[in-house]
Amino acid sequence: MIIEGLIAATFAASMVVLLAPDRVAGRLAAALSLLPVVGSLYMWSRFDATGNALTGGDPAFETIVPWLELGGYTLNWHVGVDGIGLPLVVLTTILSTLAIVSAWASIDDRQSQFYGLMLFMEANLLGVFTALDFFVWFVFWEAVLLPMYFLIGVWGGPRRKYAAIKFFVYTNIASLAMFIGFIALLFGLGDSVSSLDMPAIAGALRAGELGSLYGISAGTLRAVAFVAMFLGFAVKVPVVPFHTWLPDAHVEAPSPVSVMLAGVLLKMGTYALLRFNFTMLPETATRFAVPIALVAVVSVVYGALLALAQQDLKRIVAYSSVSSMGYVILGLIAYTTYGVGGATFQMIAHGLISGLMFMSVGVMYNTTHTRMVGDMSGMADRMPVTAGIFVAGAFGYMGLPLMAGFAGEFFIFKGAFESTVHAAMPLFTAAAMFGIVIVAGYLLLAMQRTLFGSFRLETDYEVGPAPLHETVPLAVLLVTIIVLGVAPDLFFGMIQDAVDPLLDFGGELS
Amino acid sequence: MVPVEWYLLLAAAVFCIGLFGILTRSNALLFLMSVELMLNAANINLVAFSAYWGNVTGQTFGLFTMALAAAEVAVGIGIILVLYRNFDDVDVTLAKGMRR
Amino acid sequence: MVGAFDYAPAIVLLPFLSFVLSLTAGKYLPKGGAFGGIAATAGSLILSAWVFLTVSAGNAYNETLYTWAAGVGEGTTTLTFGLLLDPLAAMMLLIVSLVALLVHVFSLGYMNDEGETGLPRYYAGLGLFTASMLGFVVADNLLMAFMFFELVGLCSYLLIGFWFREEGPPSAAKKAFLVTRFGDYFFLVGVVGVFATFGTAKFAGEAAFPVIAEEALAGGAEVTTFGFAPETWFTILGLLILGGVIGKSAQFPLHTWLPDAMEGPTPVSALIHAATMVAAGVYLVARMYGFYALSPTALGIVALVGGFTALFAATMGVVKRDIKQVLAYSTISQYGYMMLGLGAGGYVAATFHLLTHAFFKALLFLGAGAVIIAMHHDEDMWNMGGLKNRMPVTYYTFLSGSLALAGIVPFAGFWSKDEVLYEALIHGLAGSPLLLAGYAMGLVAVFFTGFYTFRMVFLTFHGEPRTETARNPHGVRWNVKGPLVVLGVLAATVGVVNMVPLHDLTGGFPPEYLHDWLAHGELSALTSEHYGELLHDYAGYTSADVASYVAGAVSLALALAGVLTAHVLYNVADPDEHTAKLGAVKTLWYNNYYQDEYQIWIAESFVLPLARLADKFDQGIVDGVVNGVSSVSLFAGNRIRRIQTGVVSNYAVLLTLGLTALLVVFGVLGGWFV
Repeated sequence: MIIEGLIAATFAASMVVLLAPDRVAGRLAAALSLLPVVGSLYMWSRFDATGNALTGGDPAFETIVPWLELGGYTLNWHVGVDGIGLPLVVLTTILSTLAIVSAWASIDDRQSQFYGLMLFMEANLLGVFTALDFFVWFVFWEAVLLPMYFLIGVWGGPRRKYAAIKFFVYTNIASLAMFIGFIALLFGLGDSVSSLDMPAIAGALRAGELGSLYGISAGTLRAVAFVAMFLGFAVKVPVVPFHTWLPDAHVEAPSPVSVMLAGVLLKMGTYALLRFNFTMLPETATRFAVPIALVAVVSVVYGALLALAQQDLKRIVAYSSVSSMGYVILGLIAYTTYGVGGATFQMIAHGLISGLMFMSVGVMYNTTHTRMVGDMSGMADRMPVTAGIFVAGAFGYMGLPLMAGFAGEFFIFKGAFESTVHAAMPLFTAAAMFGIVIVAGYLLLAMQRTLFGSFRLETDYEVGPAPLHETVPLAVLLVTIIVLGVAPDLFFGMIQDAVDPLLDFGGELS
Repeated sequence: MVPVEWYLLLAAAVFCIGLFGILTRSNALLFLMSVELMLNAANINLVAFSAYWGNVTGQTFGLFTMALAAAEVAVGIGIILVLYRNFDDVDVTLAKGMRR
Repeated sequence: MVGAFDYAPAIVLLPFLSFVLSLTAGKYLPKGGAFGGIAATAGSLILSAWVFLTVSAGNAYNETLYTWAAGVGEGTTTLTFGLLLDPLAAMMLLIVSLVALLVHVFSLGYMNDEGETGLPRYYAGLGLFTASMLGFVVADNLLMAFMFFELVGLCSYLLIGFWFREEGPPSAAKKAFLVTRFGDYFFLVGVVGVFATFGTAKFAGEAAFPVIAEEALAGGAEVTTFGFAPETWFTILGLLILGGVIGKSAQFPLHTWLPDAMEGPTPVSALIHAATMVAAGVYLVARMYGFYALSPTALGIVALVGGFTALFAATMGVVKRDIKQVLAYSTISQYGYMMLGLGAGGYVAATFHLLTHAFFKALLFLGAGAVIIAMHHDEDMWNMGGLKNRMPVTYYTFLSGSLALAGIVPFAGFWSKDEVLYEALIHGLAGSPLLLAGYAMGLVAVFFTGFYTFRMVFLTFHGEPRTETARNPHGVRWNVKGPLVVLGVLAATVGVVNMVPLHDLTGGFPPEYLHDWLAHGELSALTSEHYGELLHDYAGYTSADVASYVAGAVSLALALAGVLTAHVLYNVADPDEHTAKLGAVKTLWYNNYYQDEYQIWIAESFVLPLARLADKFDQGIVDGVVNGVSSVSLFAGNRIRRIQTGVVSNYAVLLTLGLTALLVVFGVLGGWFV
């Protein structure tokens, strides 16, 4: 029942905040959002799941309640977390609270609506990461888009409408492709499933019970559905070449929203890829190993190159997210414990680190009102603590050991290098690893130009250190990143436990 | 007993009169009246078939339609009043602000 | 039994505590946290000495202490941290903690007395650096080594860029990190490859990867070699890891960051860019020498890179005007010798040179630091001169270091450098042209080393003062002189531990302490004895019979010739530059063979335009397609919208027409008109 409680409490909190006066909305939202944080940490401390929720494992805090019948299919309210879902739940709650606190300084109109929408989004995100029934999952999945659309479209920068509509339409069309793919699979399964329960569907698909549909053979159906779902999720991740909505959305979104967008929303894509494509259709995934690995490598290198060419700090971090998500794809296709587990760990690590980066860019923007690399210089002179944390975050992004990013990347590299899905995987891995050099290049360049040198920005007010309530979320994130980097086993153990059953699908791994 | 074809012919005639009114007039009041004619044509059909089959469902529907028509007239009159207030006329071709 | 090994983790943790303390509370501590750093490094030094004594009693320690990531499921690997304390590590611990302690003390004079701001940051950086370097030294597996290797790089970045308000240091810091990162990329691929091949990355023990590699070559173990022959694949792995070594130890072609790194404070240059961080690369090769010894190709490349770098860097040192630049190039050159020694099979010789170089190069940098304090932060040697009488302590200690660097008997550098060359010569003569080439280059470099070292000494300390500042230099205090004296004595005497030519000449006296120290141990796979067998069995190294004192005499003569040339040219009251006579060569050397230029060209004229092109492509084509799709639908919508006139009557007409059309269609299909 704790998952329902968590989601319901967050929904309730969003309604309360929506009705609260603007003056207190920010404080109230932060206070109320502590509840899910406590809840998720409690879940983490009492976590007792074994195996993967979709392949016959035993998820924790599971509830199944029959809900309604639709066209011969039973819809259940089915939620639960396993080692893949729980870390993401914890990430969501922590990042939401920090994003809300970091918004105090920058959001100065319609606060109650802003914070209400943030909490509403958090509730839906929690639903996405815990739902084990396709219908429930899909409702939450789509419902996440709405608050995000408004958060960008109302509180965003000058081109906010363009960015918001692009984000909404692009991801919605992608959802359509995914939905068609999934429903085709469901119909192809015929009578072997009688509900939209994801474990049941995954089990049936992995057992090879897919039949032909309208004269399309099972093999073709599987391949087409895989591609449709992959495209659908690839937009969300995003994977090159479906990434162009991301920089626009990030640049226009206010920084706290960017934090949520990069930190959690992108993970929905990789999470869904893992849950659907790579869990339900493993043979097909390994058949497409080369194109998928290629897409991953291109995302890494091309995203990093694009980041190198940018002048706007937020665009730099946005494109580097494309690059980091490429690593996740590489880890997923590896089909080794370290690869897939590392990919999951990287989702958490990247969520925290990109959150930290966007937040610290936001703090500097609040003071300087610019994000352009060329306009700023010597920020370390005026905002030493923020600059220090930015440097730490940037090194985290570059994969400095003993920070979470290194753990994720190293697990992925290790897993991908020893992967047996294709003989060329070591080469793909080595190529993708070159991203760590380019990422160092653009972040070091950006830091040199913005943080160091003499302070030159001309303002008619004094540029000084950021207030405490802007610094504290940064510090909390940094400490979390370091703790996870020193002791990745806090999450990595349960992740591996959940990932391991996926690898054993009886398929041929040459 | 009057054969059902007669009712159908009557209904078709009433319907065509209503349609003609809508196509040729631009006065909103005439519009409303023409719409009423078309609705009633449908009503005649419902009732006629109801009698023909000996089934009261059609008559029930007829009653529904009448209630609906009453509501529609209420809304319609309201719209016409607003139309008149804004354009000093009840010509429907004047109100085309929704085009863009 | 609670012994030194139980306290060994504290060697790493003490400086780390100093880092945390300086970072959080440095503002409130006296001297910006310096005393904490001094206490911590002194503690590390004492513990290191204890470990050293325990190791010398024949003990060794190889334990896993912390599980970083436990592998779940079958056939996975558990990633751990642990300590490996053997003679090599114990020796390196002593070097690092001693130099770190002295540098902390020296910083009191160089930073605190000069009224620098940001001292907590400085001492935090030094603390973290010392901790990471010590962590690297005691690492028991390749992954842990890599992790601390990277942390060392971070500290280097932070300390080079210490004066971040100026333009130069941040740029130099960026370059240092980026260039070493490029090398570390290969290193990381190597680490991952080692895991994939052997399933472990431990340096020592039963299931250590060099041991498994040896067994695999002997046909006793099965490893994944990705379709290559084991020999080839091990060579590839060795060369990949060598990438990181070349980056960190500033070997050609990734040496370009080190001269720029001189933008950092001088004590940092002494600690990081001379004695320790740069040593990390060489130490890594020594640490996994059991792996390199299996591959003659990798060894040959190590030797060739080392020999070439030794000569290449020495020539550039000849024309520099800045005292720290001369030292920077000498550092690159000296690490070249160590690489040559390792590649030539002279494991002990290279380790020996690592030891002596750490002391004399730290000494020279600290001496240069003292000169820089005296000169009010002017580093141009042509503005100095005649400092000999005004700062005698600095002069004599600096001279001791210079004699060691130039390789003049009986100073430390002579014994170690000559052993390196000797090893290259005997193994080269036995049939390895690569090693002979390395030897030849190393030998020529000896002359240049003698020359540039004493050019520096003469220009700085001898002759007449050439500027007003040099006439009235700023005084230095005990905290500068103390470390100089300690290191000066060490630079003069530490050669005693391994006087091979003397040993051979006298037939056994004095004993070759270092050879004995490294030859035996509890971990037999990590001893020079074992490495010797590997080199013989797998790399096919044999020795020609050349007397060590003959080889030593040759290089001593060359070094003396270099010193003499410098004496003739520069040890006069008012020296000339003399470099004009070199003509085009001078320009080439002064511009560092245009190495920087091509690397900057790659970065600025290749990668950046490529990135901009990618950006244009992305904005134009990739995003263009997305926007194109949306504008197609917008355009279509715009056209279709025209039938929406807003006139209700028109809609009614359309409705009617539609109804009629439907009726006709149904009629035709339904066959009503037939």
